[in-house]
Amino acid sequence: MDFVAPKIALSGIAPEIALAATALLVLLADAFIGDRPRTLRPEHGSARPGSGILGNRWHLPLLSLIGFGAAVYLALDAWDRVDATGATTQFSGMIAVDGFSVFVKITLAVFGALTILLGHEYLVRRDLEEGEFFALVLFSVAGMMLMASSADLIVTFLALETFSIALYVLVGYQRSRLDGQEAAMKYFLLGAFSSTFFLLGIALVFGATGSTNLYGEGGITSFLATTPAADLSLLVLGAGLLIVGLGFKVAAVPFHMWTPDAYQGAPSPVTGFMAAGSKLAGFAALLRLLDVVLFPLRWDWRPLVIGIAVVTMIVGSILAVVQDDIKRMLAYSSIAHAGFVFTAVIATNDRGISGALFYLATYGLTIVGAFAIVAVLGGPEERRTRVNDFRGLFAAHPLLAGILTLLMLSLAGVPITSGFVAKLVVFGAAVEAGYTWVVVVGAIASAIAAFFYLRILVVMYMVDAEVAEEPKAVMGPLSIGVIGLSAAATLVLGLFWSPLIELAEKATFFAGP
Amino acid sequence: MNAIVDFLGGDIVVTAIVKTVVAFAALLLTTLIVVWAERKVIADMQARIGPNRWGPYGILQTLADGIKLFFKEDFRPRTADKWTFALAPVLAMVPSLLAFAIVPIGDHITIGDRRIDLIVADLNIGILYFLAMGSIGVYGVVLAGWASGSKYPLLGGIRASAQMISYEIALGLSLVPVVLAAGSLSTVDIVAAQAGSVSNVSFFNGVPVLEQIAELFSFVPNWYIWSQWPAFFIFLIAGIAETNRAPFDLPEAETELIAGFHTEYSGIRFALFFLGEYVHVVIISAMAVTLFFGGWGGPKPDFLPWIWPIGWFVFKTGLFVYLFVWLRATMPRLRYDRLMWLGWKRLIPASLVWIMVTAVVNTEGVSRNARLVVFGILFVIVLFWLGKGDPRLTGAVTPQRRRVHGPS
Amino acid sequence: MVDTWQLVVFWALFAMMGVSALRVVTSSNVVHAALYLVVTLMGAAALYVLLLAEFVAWVQVLVYVGAIIVLMLFGLMLTRAPIGKGMFDNDQRLVAAVTAGALFGVTTWIIVDAFEGQKITLSKATGIRAESIGDVIFSSFVLPFEVISMLLLAALIGAVVIARRD
Repeated sequence: MDFVAPKIALSGIAPEIALAATALLVLLADAFIGDRPRTLRPEHGSARPGSGILGNRWHLPLLSLIGFGAAVYLALDAWDRVDATGATTQFSGMIAVDGFSVFVKITLAVFGALTILLGHEYLVRRDLEEGEFFALVLFSVAGMMLMASSADLIVTFLALETFSIALYVLVGYQRSRLDGQEAAMKYFLLGAFSSTFFLLGIALVFGATGSTNLYGEGGITSFLATTPAADLSLLVLGAGLLIVGLGFKVAAVPFHMWTPDAYQGAPSPVTGFMAAGSKLAGFAALLRLLDVVLFPLRWDWRPLVIGIAVVTMIVGSILAVVQDDIKRMLAYSSIAHAGFVFTAVIATNDRGISGALFYLATYGLTIVGAFAIVAVLGGPEERRTRVNDFRGLFAAHPLLAGILTLLMLSLAGVPITSGFVAKLVVFGAAVEAGYTWVVVVGAIASAIAAFFYLRILVVMYMVDAEVAEEPKAVMGPLSIGVIGLSAAATLVLGLFWSPLIELAEKATFFAGP
Repeated sequence: MNAIVDFLGGDIVVTAIVKTVVAFAALLLTTLIVVWAERKVIADMQARIGPNRWGPYGILQTLADGIKLFFKEDFRPRTADKWTFALAPVLAMVPSLLAFAIVPIGDHITIGDRRIDLIVADLNIGILYFLAMGSIGVYGVVLAGWASGSKYPLLGGIRASAQMISYEIALGLSLVPVVLAAGSLSTVDIVAAQAGSVSNVSFFNGVPVLEQIAELFSFVPNWYIWSQWPAFFIFLIAGIAETNRAPFDLPEAETELIAGFHTEYSGIRFALFFLGEYVHVVIISAMAVTLFFGGWGGPKPDFLPWIWPIGWFVFKTGLFVYLFVWLRATMPRLRYDRLMWLGWKRLIPASLVWIMVTAVVNTEGVSRNARLVVFGILFVIVLFWLGKGDPRLTGAVTPQRRRVHGPS
Repeated sequence: MVDTWQLVVFWALFAMMGVSALRVVTSSNVVHAALYLVVTLMGAAALYVLLLAEFVAWVQVLVYVGAIIVLMLFGLMLTRAPIGKGMFDNDQRLVAAVTAGALFGVTTWIIVDAFEGQKITLSKATGIRAESIGDVIFSSFVLPFEVISMLLLAALIGAVVIARRD
């Protein structure tokens, strides 16, 4: 027995551990704290506003929120450490502890907490089981966090699968909805398909470099430093497949086919979570892989990524215009936004990375709020999500209409909203790197995109005598809180953006070999 | 002779072939005796005489039955799937036979200058091999049920495969603590780890009174039945369920399913299923002996020293086979939902808890206090677990109560 | 002598796996296809044994043959999936063949490119023992190991959510 137990430092994955532990606690509490009383009758809409939403079922969401709080605390703790001692790797080089991962983790924890708040109200109103929902959200956030800090392709793949599997199930969580089941099935099949691309990519990279490790001794970084550029074709092919696999997760064209169906069929809180979290996690892995590890190969992968970026922006924007369903429309808009983030990826400079982080953080906060509004207006089975169902919203709920206006303007990239600042940052990075023409394409796409955001606004403010059914918002304190928070973040970050950008810039440092 | 030996690849290969043939023959012979013994024992328990026509005490009865089955018409239903139908009985028997390869039936014998271990193959990962063979064994049942092309076999096949899959988990988990304790997956090492006296086990070292009490029991062998008794009971229950025998013989419940998955089988193919079941019984018994009762270990007088271990092994295995027969004569069949309840909600959690306990206790440098804490936690868990009471056992489940859980 | 036997066994396994793998995709009966898949997977396990990687071999049998395919068969029976000729046929054979061929080509290329000319000498002493696998799993690969458990737990919860009767 000459087994030498490895020295294990846990600070790098402490947030993930906290979330996984919380998920287990949630499941245990769910199993052992008796029969769950139904505080509300299943009939949607008959709920007394503000009453009983927390009811007797407060312990599970509270537990989950504590978990997210702990994750944020531990991530901040790790930040202090890397600030003091510099970025390192842990777990035999499997985990990178650096500012980048910490920033992503904190952002993800915020998205997760917002999802818990929305999900709780959503589930209680529809009389659905909660324990598994929270556990799956916690697990998927843990997986996404691991994506951000993984320094080994094996860990990246496992993290990808962890959050994907949790999301497949969350998409089909409301099983009484047929379109939800269809969405989950499509998402699952295409997601599994994309995972095989990713796996094959890992195999190719391993074949080329003899390692799956990014930074360690004999890892990919040191391989690139020592090998002449001539025999790298296998590695480039592998990197291409990795981009394909991650492209599915961030919903980039041409790997976007699942997005509209999955976004439409999923419960709206889950859709918001997917749009915010899944995208952030996917881009975190992409940024680390392309802009840091494969930086020496940038002339090889850049044409592919530029192609993806351009096609994604254009196709996403154009297809969004012709949508009738607001969830599908937001899905295509999220595709277009993935394209905008890609312009930051091709910049391959520090400004691009921090810009992408800022973009994804602000976009996530906005889109969670947008889907929260869809959730409160959609009705029990979310059937009222067509654009025309929003007719007369201003008359019925002026404040809600105002907030939706703000969020839509932010998505369109209109000044004084966070979306404007974010676009400015990523486009600026691309211009700095010399890709002005990509930015021009992006600007055109933004212009196209503005059309459909404005379409919703027009419909909302129209007072139409022929409205068959007035939009009716069913919301409790939690939804109101999340929507308000999202609106506030959109506005405040649109006016006072510099603290967050500075933070993102400060976070742009990576573990090295 | 030497030329042939060389052509086949030398000593090792020849030894292996001889061992295989001998083990195969011995196992089949044992099976014949076990079938006869079961009929005799059950007859005795039911105050009957049992087979008494062929040979002394009817000992040749099984052989006669076998010959009869061999010459019977080999019937195959029109709707059956030809090849699969023929394959299923073979798959039901062969894995059990193969599993015998890793059972050490004795220490070793010396012929000339050659040491021959009394085990067909001392695999480095013997336990894993045993589990793999068990998992292949499911195929015979599944395919028999499907290939017969009629409904009772299909139902029996589904039941049997569900049961075997469920209990395979508990069976596998029950072996983990033994492997942890022995520090090896090899059956030979596990038997070796059980040599010596139980007082060598340092569990009570340093505890004033218990230490002396432990010393009194120095004549007791250090079998894993003492330290691993929960694992043993889980193994035994899961093992019985794996063999599809009473009280877990639902796949063949005559009153519901005629003969279950082998309803459509007759003649020699039925004989293979029959044989497979008894081989399985012998294997589970032999594994129970190997893992928990010291294998071939036992007093070894000077007279013919190599035969005593084999004798001890056969004797202990025989006791377990007797237990199987005894259970069949005594226990009523379980209901299907209770079977699943037992497997999933009791045996699997219990084995998981026990793995944890063993892992902690076995770790070097764990203080006595830590051990006591572990046992305390275990005690609480068990109390909680027993006290919770499943409504199915107490009959408290009513449709009204269930509806509370099930909205719309 | 041993080398000759090894080669004979290897080519026998090669033939067996090749034929059964072809039958997996050409068989029109799902259960038969599953059984041919079993043969293929067992062949892979036998190859591992040939390479003295016993642990991997039996894990292959335990996981793929003993669990995954059994569950597939079980699922076929429980769902009363239509089992018969032509039920699962479609007109995408050419595409599938091209994809499989391309995948095969790429994989072969990687292996040749990455390991060309390398030779590993096997001996019983250096064969992959269970202990060495355990050492690696619990030292340098301890994180993936733990993440897999989280992944499986999430999958398990997901399965319960999907399958739950309410």
